[in-house]
Amino acid sequence: MNLEKSPSVRGLALATTQYTSFDRQYSCSTSAQRPDRYRLIEALDDDMPRIARGSGVSYVAASFGQECTVQEMAAFNRFLAFDSERGLLKVEAGVRIADVLRFTLKHGWYLPVVPGHPAASVGGCIAADVHGKNPARDRTFHAWLQNIEIYHPARGTVSADSDVNTELFEASCGGFGLTGTILNATLRLVPAPSGMAIERIPVKNLGEAAWVLKKHTNVEMLYGWHNGLVSGGSFGRGVIWVGRPYDVLPIVSSTRARDLPSQLKIWPWRCWNHATLKAANTWLETRWRRADKITRSLAATFFPLNDSGPYFSAFGPAGLVEVQWLIPHATFFTFYEELEYLSSRLKPLIALMSSKLFVGNATGLGFAGEGIALSLQLAAPQKQHAFLEALTDLAIRHGGRPNLIKDSTLTASIVKQTIPNFTVLRTRLKQQNPGEVYCSELSRRLAL
Amino acid sequence: MTALIVGASSGLGRVLVQTLAEKGYSLLLIASESRDLDAIAADLRLRFNSAVTYLALDFSVESDPGRKIQIVLQDLPPLRILLLPLGYSCFDDDFSSNTKQIDLLLKINLSAPLVIIQSLLPQLLANQGIVVGFGSIAAVRGRGRNVVYAAAKRGLQSYFESLHHRYEESELKSHFYQLGFMQSNLTFGLSLPPLPVTSPEKVAREVIRRLGCKSGTFYLPTWWGLIALVIKILPLKLFRKLKS
Repeated sequence: MNLEKSPSVRGLALATTQYTSFDRQYSCSTSAQRPDRYRLIEALDDDMPRIARGSGVSYVAASFGQECTVQEMAAFNRFLAFDSERGLLKVEAGVRIADVLRFTLKHGWYLPVVPGHPAASVGGCIAADVHGKNPARDRTFHAWLQNIEIYHPARGTVSADSDVNTELFEASCGGFGLTGTILNATLRLVPAPSGMAIERIPVKNLGEAAWVLKKHTNVEMLYGWHNGLVSGGSFGRGVIWVGRPYDVLPIVSSTRARDLPSQLKIWPWRCWNHATLKAANTWLETRWRRADKITRSLAATFFPLNDSGPYFSAFGPAGLVEVQWLIPHATFFTFYEELEYLSSRLKPLIALMSSKLFVGNATGLGFAGEGIALSLQLAAPQKQHAFLEALTDLAIRHGGRPNLIKDSTLTASIVKQTIPNFTVLRTRLKQQNPGEVYCSELSRRLAL
Repeated sequence: MTALIVGASSGLGRVLVQTLAEKGYSLLLIASESRDLDAIAADLRLRFNSAVTYLALDFSVESDPGRKIQIVLQDLPPLRILLLPLGYSCFDDDFSSNTKQIDLLLKINLSAPLVIIQSLLPQLLANQGIVVGFGSIAAVRGRGRNVVYAAAKRGLQSYFESLHHRYEESELKSHFYQLGFMQSNLTFGLSLPPLPVTSPEKVAREVIRRLGCKSGTFYLPTWWGLIALVIKILPLKLFRKLKS
């Protein structure tokens, strides 16, 4: 390890640290800092390239990069204020989203937009402008954010919301951490039902899934799981989960005994191949592909990834690639038909396929808009180039919008083609990052 | 009863604060900056419904910290526990430190704890209190690194031995912990020997668990006592070869 210390600021310590993205597609060693006091966030030289890191559970390398000092924000995990009358919660940026949920449920409130990984930090949720269990109804994290305080060496610490420093606020939501170090955020909550009545609706293929999703726009929870290894008109056979509030259960604030850790122990070899994936999909279909209704506590419905530790570990050292495209309704049916053809021809190792319904307008670089979002997780990424290229081409032809925070195969050229007004949005982001001191592998790869 | 924690915003201090809050103590927190203390106090009030008061004191410039603490304590329940998990080390503490750096190292690691303990002794004695200090494995035997830091921590250990010698268990308990390698901002990035590094959470749990125990000097984790013994009896020629 390479240690540097600045005598000017008491407690400043930097060390070379190895980071790997959650999808394991990018690793590098870079200098890192673990500030635990506010003065240490401000202690780096003003022109030193940096990026804040929450729990590091973004699929892509958004919180680190070569020659970019990582500021790990885990120590800034405190609850600062709670207005139980109006449902407002102020927390530091390093607070994990599962802890937000546990705290708010205890007081009869909850945050409607929560990402799948319980360890995701509030700062990370803002920077990625994550979506939750039904983006068609609840939109993205931005919709539930009242205010942020954000530090940038060029402007110090400022408050930003929809009235004050609006441009900074808008650019920071889905700004991939490039507008500064988010210090704290005030979140808007809604009263919590005690539980969720979850209906499972089997679908024959992706086409039927799109129809079922559109029919249930306004429910609390809406997403689909699909088998990506079947063909013959059945591509995407699966189940749509529809959750509605259920007020008979007592409110339970704990999600599970253990949250999925941010750092997983990766198995030394890849276990996912055509045979094992087929077996896993068959097993899941047997469990899920019949109509059913169950009731679960709200806390238990939020983090489906808590059960997924072995699933992610089984991708082995080579990791996985997640691609997520938002396809407009008008082109979705031809898109999925061509995707089925592509899949039967190129036989990609699709480990997981899921769908969500999106409603609204995309105003920034984040993943938002109108249509059906389709996510695919692929094993053995190095063997999937042909499929991934063909899928990208297919999505572009069908007016698709990629999710920048999930897909490590994206390039600056693809993003420029697929995000409307990309140049304007990028300029807006750069204006909020004087000197471009905030940077990451993601920002460099996509020329943000 | 009030527990006073000096060095409450960072590392072991912050974890001790949370452990005590979970146990329902009334807390007085001291650290150098109010914005850190403000956040910690808000969090403890929200999550544990704790009675928390704080005072920002920068020991590098503070001339009489004891007096300021006394003023705040007047409005709080009687002081029973004094924890002093404060410390400061710097990379170039290797005979190249200037007067200012030496002064800072001595103030934070030695003078401030001594001044605070002396100032609060009457209350602690009146309440059959407990005072807990923290040393470092780096101070077991002087080396060419952490020169002033180790000297200050050894001085603090001597002071705790004096407390132990002077006061009966029934009057005042004094615990002094020699800490082995622990994850903290002080050790982040340091090239440490290949020995287990403990977490502040484990250390804090143990310190709080032992609050009712007899006075003395202890190693945490306890197996560091053996390492310390080896370091002490190692011939100088061999000891010099241990770079880290």
